[in-house]
Amino acid sequence: MLFKCLLRCAAQQTERILIVFVLMCVSRCPWLTKVISPAVPLYNGLVFLFVLANFSMATFMDPGVYPRADEDEDKEDDFRAPLYKNVEIKGIQVRMKWCATCHFYRPPRCSHCSVCDNCVEDFDHHCPWVNNCIGRRNYRYFFLFLLSLSAHMVGVFCFGLIFVLDHRETLGALHTTVTLVVMCIAGLFFIPVMGLTGFHMVLVARGRTTNEQVTGKFRGGVNPFTKGCCGNVEYVLCSPLAPRYMLDPRKKPHVKIQPPFIRPDLSDRQITIKVSDNGIHSTIISSKSKSSLDGLDDKETQPPLPPKADRYNQLKSQMTSSEGKNHRNTSTTAAWWCFSSLSGKTHPSTPAMYKFRPSFGTMPKVHYHTTEEKIVISDDRKPSAILEEGVRGHDYRSEPNLDLPEYANAPLHRTFQSSPLQLDSDPINSRTLSLKQGHGRPEKGQLPALEPRTVTSTPYKSVFSPNNLSNRNGSLSYDSLLNPSISPATASECMAHRGVPSVGFHSPYLSTKMCHIREPDMQRQQVPPTYSPVISPRVVGRQSPHLRDRDPSPVRYDNLSQTIMASIQERKEKEEREKRQMHHGRSQTHIYAQDSGVFDGGYGLPANACYPDGPRGPGSRGPTPPAYGGSRDNLMGVGLMSYGQRTPVLRHAGSTLGRAPRTSPTSLHTDQSSINSSQSRTTGPEGPYRSPAHQPHSPAMPRSPSYSRQKLSYISAHERIDSPQAMKVNGQMDCHPSAQGAALSPSRHSNVKKVTGVGGTTYEISV
Amino acid sequence: MAETHSLQDMRQQTAITAKVFIQRDYSSGTMCQFQTKFPSELENRIDKQQFEETVRALNNMYAEAEKLGSQSYIEGCLACLTAYTVFLCMETHYEKVLKKIAKYIQEQNDKIYAPRGLLLTDPIERGLRVVEITIFEDRSLTR
Repeated sequence: MLFKCLLRCAAQQTERILIVFVLMCVSRCPWLTKVISPAVPLYNGLVFLFVLANFSMATFMDPGVYPRADEDEDKEDDFRAPLYKNVEIKGIQVRMKWCATCHFYRPPRCSHCSVCDNCVEDFDHHCPWVNNCIGRRNYRYFFLFLLSLSAHMVGVFCFGLIFVLDHRETLGALHTTVTLVVMCIAGLFFIPVMGLTGFHMVLVARGRTTNEQVTGKFRGGVNPFTKGCCGNVEYVLCSPLAPRYMLDPRKKPHVKIQPPFIRPDLSDRQITIKVSDNGIHSTIISSKSKSSLDGLDDKETQPPLPPKADRYNQLKSQMTSSEGKNHRNTSTTAAWWCFSSLSGKTHPSTPAMYKFRPSFGTMPKVHYHTTEEKIVISDDRKPSAILEEGVRGHDYRSEPNLDLPEYANAPLHRTFQSSPLQLDSDPINSRTLSLKQGHGRPEKGQLPALEPRTVTSTPYKSVFSPNNLSNRNGSLSYDSLLNPSISPATASECMAHRGVPSVGFHSPYLSTKMCHIREPDMQRQQVPPTYSPVISPRVVGRQSPHLRDRDPSPVRYDNLSQTIMASIQERKEKEEREKRQMHHGRSQTHIYAQDSGVFDGGYGLPANACYPDGPRGPGSRGPTPPAYGGSRDNLMGVGLMSYGQRTPVLRHAGSTLGRAPRTSPTSLHTDQSSINSSQSRTTGPEGPYRSPAHQPHSPAMPRSPSYSRQKLSYISAHERIDSPQAMKVNGQMDCHPSAQGAALSPSRHSNVKKVTGVGGTTYEISV
Repeated sequence: MAETHSLQDMRQQTAITAKVFIQRDYSSGTMCQFQTKFPSELENRIDKQQFEETVRALNNMYAEAEKLGSQSYIEGCLACLTAYTVFLCMETHYEKVLKKIAKYIQEQNDKIYAPRGLLLTDPIERGLRVVEITIFEDRSLTR
């Protein structure tokens, strides 16, 4: 490229110019001093000094080299890390590439210099003549060097011209000849140096680096790093000197760490979950909720099983694992999930979600936490009463399961949530659905059933990642725990509920509405015995019958709040009502079944449909992307496509996918992946939102173009699939990368490998 | 179990359960900001507010370090005039703030994080890319 050549030329000339200067000084200065002014040599001297100082700083200063990442930092990222990570900067998607040498994702504007074999911050270029990279720390000196060198050359040339013009008659004299020669040299090198100086002046004004300019990163797009012309110039010239990162290992201060350690007081801790997106507020009193939530997340996170996976087995394993784990408060967790599902706008709970959710309106940033992410639900306006209801409902159900693994509770929530939400046609409804779906997650099939309902624009999927709700979904009640066999039934029930488009979902949050809403559902639940064996009476949310039957509940009521107790009471009342209307439920069931195209008859929601695994909930963290090699960018796309195609039926199920504008498959997908789906849909405009684990399935990826302002975003979205997200904090892959889904999406990568994943599904991995 | 050990000793004796990395928050550009999202691994170790307060304080300090204020102007001019020899004798504004941050982290570790079995690592050691929190095994809870 031209400017690169100029660059090299300029560097080469530097040394020569210095020599020239010396010659000039020797030959002309005395005369010039006498003729023009004594300021001439002074000026020349200063400029020369300036050139030299800047040249030295540019040559010897550390440009901003990043030290190599420690082993423990990249442990989660290295093998299964997707090649690219997307981050949103001022609303624009920027791609961060994984540096295999330095073992971290290169920060924005950072690039790896092959000559120096280092990642350099704000990498501009590698200057061969100073034998140094130009980066954040020394760009200013390099720029000033160019400016001062240009000024110096101009000065040399001008003064030389004056001298020669004055000594026209004695051109043969030594001094004059030398001056002439120097002038010629200066004039010759003036062109490349000025060219380079002009180029960098433009770069500074635009706030770009040479690297960005030559690679055309912002060609036709918006530069997120610009601060305006004046701001950029000010930043280059006046910003404080950045610190060095390559420090000598200094002695670390001794910190005394001795167990026993203080633990935060969890007994009466209240977790306030504000559900965004419809403003459903809910305060869940959770004692030990956090731990349980985590546990739940952990448990929930699972490798994304293909739709055909044996849900029951999955549930079983979940149950086992959950039981094995020391989860403290399942109910809280379940409640938590319910709410989180409602908050479409909140940060995705799972790290994966973060990564793959380009930009939610409410999301301030993309988090690439390697840690599991908590569900953060922003507050909305829903009357808290509703939430209370939900909470209560939730608690009611979960009560018996307080001591049991989370999953017992989860299903309960789900049922509740989905129904009321739907009725309201709220985005929350969609979320609820997802939650519901999550509920039925152990039986994946169920989730899709709920999908149509959940369509609402809730972008928030993470909460509903199957991971979170896995156990819960399976069984609302304690019974489910005791009788794993019920879980499939529950799943089917969930599906059945889905059949009830509007009525089926009872959100725990909607108190009064839910009463009548639930009834149909409840009726259905009541029917379970009459239905196919698949449906277990313990339907989510409608568990009341079960709960009632179980008198000696292991639930401890001593730690339940007032609201919980109230909700329990209310539930009991509802159950009474349900029983009375049981006979009416049957007819409705048919209606429901018809409504949801997904169900064949409402109960048999194919597992395919709901493959909610998408975002494995908080568990699925980005950092541990599925173990695919290379860039997994297309995984999501692949998954999405396949997924979308697989479940076209879900679409009709009245999926009001929020914004699934561009992505019909997306919506489908979201439907399927209960929790995640809702989110992905809502994020339509945001860009590809992908549940971590099931990136492949998440429709988000292929659809991202819309939200990103530049083409990069589309790419990023696509690449977002890295589904490290699916990976749990523990590094367990909840969502196996392999679970990407077998469908081939128009991958951008040239090489696509087929890998047989869990459950025999074949996945495509872009290499 | 109640003995006091130096960090190095403790490292050998107190097992490290996990390390949590708080990533950078790039939403407002390349300014050095860290995400305040509370990692789930720390849920049963430290209060969320406490953690967020720490991260916010760090963010504020880094913002102060990178601020284009009068101090940075003066420093730049002085450096220019002295042909950058001033850097040999004086430390820059950023370096001063970094020292302040190191002191703050040390203090936080001593007062808040070490008693909870956590250890914050100065992000400068990682190139200001992540804040590393080391979680130490809590033997008192080991069954």
